[in-house]
Amino acid sequence: MVTIENLTKYYGRNRAVNNLSFNINDNEILGFLGPNGAGKSTTMNMIAGYLPMTNGNVVINGTDIAKDPVKAKRNIGYLPEIPPVYPDMKVDEYLFFCAGLKSVPANQKKKEVARVMELLKISDVQKRLIKNLSKGYKQRVGFAQALIGNPKFLILDEPTVGLDPNQVIEVRQIISDLRKEHSVIFSSHILSEISAVCDRVVIINKGDIKAIDTIDNLEKSMKDNLNLNAKICGDREKIVSAIKSVNGVVSIKEIEEDKNNSYNVKIELNGDSDTIRNNVMSALIANNLQILEIFTEKPNLEDVFIKLVNQPTKRTSLSDLVDEICSDSDSSDNTNENETEGK
Amino acid sequence: MFSIYKKELQSFFYTPFAYTVAALFMFVFTYVFNNSIADISSSTYQFSFTNVFYSVIFYFIFLIPIMTMRTFSDERKFGTEVLLMTSPVNIFKIVIAKFLANVTVFVFMLVCSLLFPIVTAANGEVIISQLVCAYIGFFCWGIMCIAIGMLISSFTENSIIAAILGEVAMLVVMFIDDFSRTDFISQYPKLQSVLYAFSAQPKFAYFSQGLIRLSDIIFFISAVITFLAWTIISIEKRRWNRG
Repeated sequence: MVTIENLTKYYGRNRAVNNLSFNINDNEILGFLGPNGAGKSTTMNMIAGYLPMTNGNVVINGTDIAKDPVKAKRNIGYLPEIPPVYPDMKVDEYLFFCAGLKSVPANQKKKEVARVMELLKISDVQKRLIKNLSKGYKQRVGFAQALIGNPKFLILDEPTVGLDPNQVIEVRQIISDLRKEHSVIFSSHILSEISAVCDRVVIINKGDIKAIDTIDNLEKSMKDNLNLNAKICGDREKIVSAIKSVNGVVSIKEIEEDKNNSYNVKIELNGDSDTIRNNVMSALIANNLQILEIFTEKPNLEDVFIKLVNQPTKRTSLSDLVDEICSDSDSSDNTNENETEGK
Repeated sequence: MFSIYKKELQSFFYTPFAYTVAALFMFVFTYVFNNSIADISSSTYQFSFTNVFYSVIFYFIFLIPIMTMRTFSDERKFGTEVLLMTSPVNIFKIVIAKFLANVTVFVFMLVCSLLFPIVTAANGEVIISQLVCAYIGFFCWGIMCIAIGMLISSFTENSIIAAILGEVAMLVVMFIDDFSRTDFISQYPKLQSVLYAFSAQPKFAYFSQGLIRLSDIIFFISAVITFLAWTIISIEKRRWNRG
């Protein structure tokens, strides 16, 4: 169990991280999301005990990292953004060195190094100099380093950067498997990865926490108040009146004429989107209008992320956040900008 | 701590680094040694290892910063400092381990230089006691310079800058004695005595004359402790200032 309380970091006068508080439970994978420069790496560096915090506490299994760093660090495996490898060492030499650093008993070193090499599939490069390895292999060597000594708590800063798609899947699988014995906090820009692996996510922006919740809850919170897209054939006036008659439809956002007397309609909803969709369909059919296509925009973590990050002001609770997101109808332009920024 | 020491030694001895530095040292030593032997013909000159050491030390101080320049600057450059700092090892142990590794390379160089007394002993006579004293003095001088070099390496992540600043520091250490004896400083006897107290060269001179004085040993040891403590503070300070 790792407790982070009021974690704050100032670089001179710049505030990088502001009052973060959250827990990482045992056997939990916590995703850490935020755009570039949000303070993710700074936070991770502080949790790992590399950077001192301006204010706040990090307590790892009951040990405060500022008060007893050596004891607290025994429980930590840390993979920073840039894998901390020595270019002039061979892979196995390096891992033996790390085993020594983490006080793995001498008679277990060999077994431990073999175990992590096996886990990350780097046994075949163990006799090569690290500087001659590709970026993906370096990343895996760095990851192996974090796993040595089987620490209870793992901090992984973008562990899948630089890996090819196959390796990404393998590494994700490894992280998923770590849940059995470890608690993990891991940051990534790749949202699908976070939603595939993590139990809960923390979303931060400009040093502030924007949301802490399970992915399901976050997505669910987006499920109401969605947009419904439809392609309908028929008279324009009829379509508009039929749709507007349905309970739960807030407005018709867009209506565009397509080919063959059909219209693309974007409808803003308020309430459970599934029920409203069915009602809209019945209303359209009752008016003898042909439905060519109909679908709700599927909520996903990406939307949550983009909207939370675009939040202009700090909100105290998640419901506040969601309210604001939904009232913010002009966000589509900003959305695109942020999407590129986020990646 | 032992694993850091071992890793540092590997980085010296598994690469051509230690051998290049040692070869350069031997080259300098050979040059000075041959020159001294060539001078024997002049009747006023008496060959002794003391004189050889005295000349060697002038060249030698330029080698030390080359040896120590990478100690901390490379850790920062490659981002491996994070690994050391997030491992359950405190900074004191990291600094000591790195210091011992540097000292080991230095001792390796000293052992190489034993060749000359051995060759001399085979063909002539060597005053062992004086030689031992000179070696002890040389060792003390060397470890002080290593501590200074490590401190400078902790200031920057560019090892070339660390080397250049190191050379400057070595020159200051070397010539502080000469400086304290200039006419200008002589006008202020108190300042002169302070500068003289800080100059290492006269202390080395006692050693090379075959005198082991406790005060001199304490001088070198306290200099080593001061600079290593300063290194620890410098690393800690940088963590707090980062960004």
